[in-house]
Amino acid sequence: MDDQGCPRCKTTKYRNPSLKLMVNVCGHTLCENCVEMLFARGSGNCVQCDTPLRKSNFRVQLFEDPTVDKEVEIRKKVLKIYNKRDFDFPSLRDYNDFLEKVEDVVYNLTNNIDVENTKLRMEQYQRENRDLIQRNKVKLTREQEDLEELLLLEQQGNDQRRLELLQEEQRQLQTKRKNKQALLDELEQSQLPATILLAQHKVRAANLETQIEQQKQVVKPTNLFSTGIHMRQTVSLQPVPKIEEVLYLYKPLRVETYGPSVPELEHLGRLGYLNHVRAAMPQDTAGGYTSALACHRAVQDAFSGMFLLKR
Amino acid sequence: MFHNSSQGKFWIFKSEDEVEQKRYKANQKVRNKIIESGKPGVSESKLLEHHEEDVLFRHYEKRMLDFCNAFKPVMPKSVVGTAIMYFRRFYLNNSIMEHHPRIIMLTCAYLSCKVDEFNVSSTQFVGNLLQETPAGQERVLEQILEYELLLIQQLKFHLVVHNPYRPMEGLLIDLKTRFPTLENPESLRKNADDFLTQAAMTDAGLLFPPSQIALTAILNSASRAGLSMESYLNECLGLKEDKETLSKMYESMSRMKTLKKYELPKAEEVNAYKKKLDRIHAEFSSSSNKRKRGYEEDGHVAKEARLTEEEWTDEDLV
Repeated sequence: MDDQGCPRCKTTKYRNPSLKLMVNVCGHTLCENCVEMLFARGSGNCVQCDTPLRKSNFRVQLFEDPTVDKEVEIRKKVLKIYNKRDFDFPSLRDYNDFLEKVEDVVYNLTNNIDVENTKLRMEQYQRENRDLIQRNKVKLTREQEDLEELLLLEQQGNDQRRLELLQEEQRQLQTKRKNKQALLDELEQSQLPATILLAQHKVRAANLETQIEQQKQVVKPTNLFSTGIHMRQTVSLQPVPKIEEVLYLYKPLRVETYGPSVPELEHLGRLGYLNHVRAAMPQDTAGGYTSALACHRAVQDAFSGMFLLKR
Repeated sequence: MFHNSSQGKFWIFKSEDEVEQKRYKANQKVRNKIIESGKPGVSESKLLEHHEEDVLFRHYEKRMLDFCNAFKPVMPKSVVGTAIMYFRRFYLNNSIMEHHPRIIMLTCAYLSCKVDEFNVSSTQFVGNLLQETPAGQERVLEQILEYELLLIQQLKFHLVVHNPYRPMEGLLIDLKTRFPTLENPESLRKNADDFLTQAAMTDAGLLFPPSQIALTAILNSASRAGLSMESYLNECLGLKEDKETLSKMYESMSRMKTLKKYELPKAEEVNAYKKKLDRIHAEFSSSSNKRKRGYEEDGHVAKEARLTEEEWTDEDLV
């Protein structure tokens, strides 16, 4: 964020990294101080493009490129109007066409292409689909509420677990301390020799340890998967449709060499060719070289094109 | 492999006549171009004829072979073979009068080292030109680098050359494995090697697949030693049934042997032609090379005239 400066006071941004940049509807940035200064009266013109602006329209910039912020704002507004969902459409193609229309609108408004026409189109759409928009708005809010509830529940669960863990730890520390104290007391008062006392203490400490381990092992029984599906609930899956296609028939590659056939690489050893080739040194075999490779290449070259006659 | 290589598709010709035709056409083209360029002092007698070019070609080929043989570190045979093949292919479509062979031959050797992965740095390469001062070697290196792209272009970017040396090894291995009648195939190796070296100096590489050349070498060497390899051809190569292919193979082999009428060009002829060539290059090539650098007509990469070319002569090679 440091590479951007406020276009008006320029230097202040670098000197004060905590200073925030604000973006307005025209897509140009101003730092907080400049906003204060220029829009003290509540409204004014943008420094770079001279569009009339209001102070309330300034939002803190989230993205590095102010045009992105501008587009995000426009998109929010557009989507409030064009808020049909995928099940509102009879086919995938129609849904995609709708989405493309939305993108066109957003693009036009962001890049100031054909603004009046686009706005007219938006208003027309709004008028035609008033109830649908209303219904979808309601549905959206309900869904959002559900999501928020779930989030809240999760949060609460997390907090509770954390609390329990802390308490557990506290308890363990306390018992350990008590144990130590008891040992010291016994050493003071009891008549038994010190070694026996120590041994007793050790046994007790060991028991405590095993107890703690056991507690950790206990898994809390639950009947719900993390996705919300109940355990032992059967989920029916649709059968995958079977696609019949023509079977692929493998045909081995045939290359015309115009010469007698060369034995395969694997057979060279058996046929006795390798006796007449220099054996591979250990350094060569490390890299994967075998004498069969050189032999095969020589024999291939010897037979390639032998019967070729150009007339 | 050779059977699907560019060499098999584009650089194997039907007959020696076709090859000669190509060379003749290249020579004619350059002759006409120089005559039509209308420079003063041009006359037909000053230009090289086709057979004169041939003599010079063979002379320079021999020099290239000597250079490669005296190369330090030792150049593998395949590199030498590739270099000779490049030289031969280049002068199939170009004339000696247009590009002087002494640079082309070094460029061929240099390119061949690179293509065959025989790792020699450029300074090491020109270090083998023993008669030059280090500054002279630098200049030669610059010239080589200039001509390199032209060479690759004239080779139509077909840089992989299949030499007959590995096929010969393969045939020897096969002989030892499958043809126990022949007691000691190693004895054939020396003569076969000589045959292959001689064949490299002929047009055999442009007419026959390398496996055929190798087979001819071995059969030749065997017949010299008085051994018969007929049964090998029949049994092991499976040609017993295929009489037609067998006879065709024999035919090709005899053609190859007649090709080997290689004569070392006579010294006086060579000198006379060389003088002519140098004069041609001094007068005519410098004019055509005054174009700007870049890709021009005929797709040739034009070269600037270099005055330093005069200073470096043939005797500077080994």
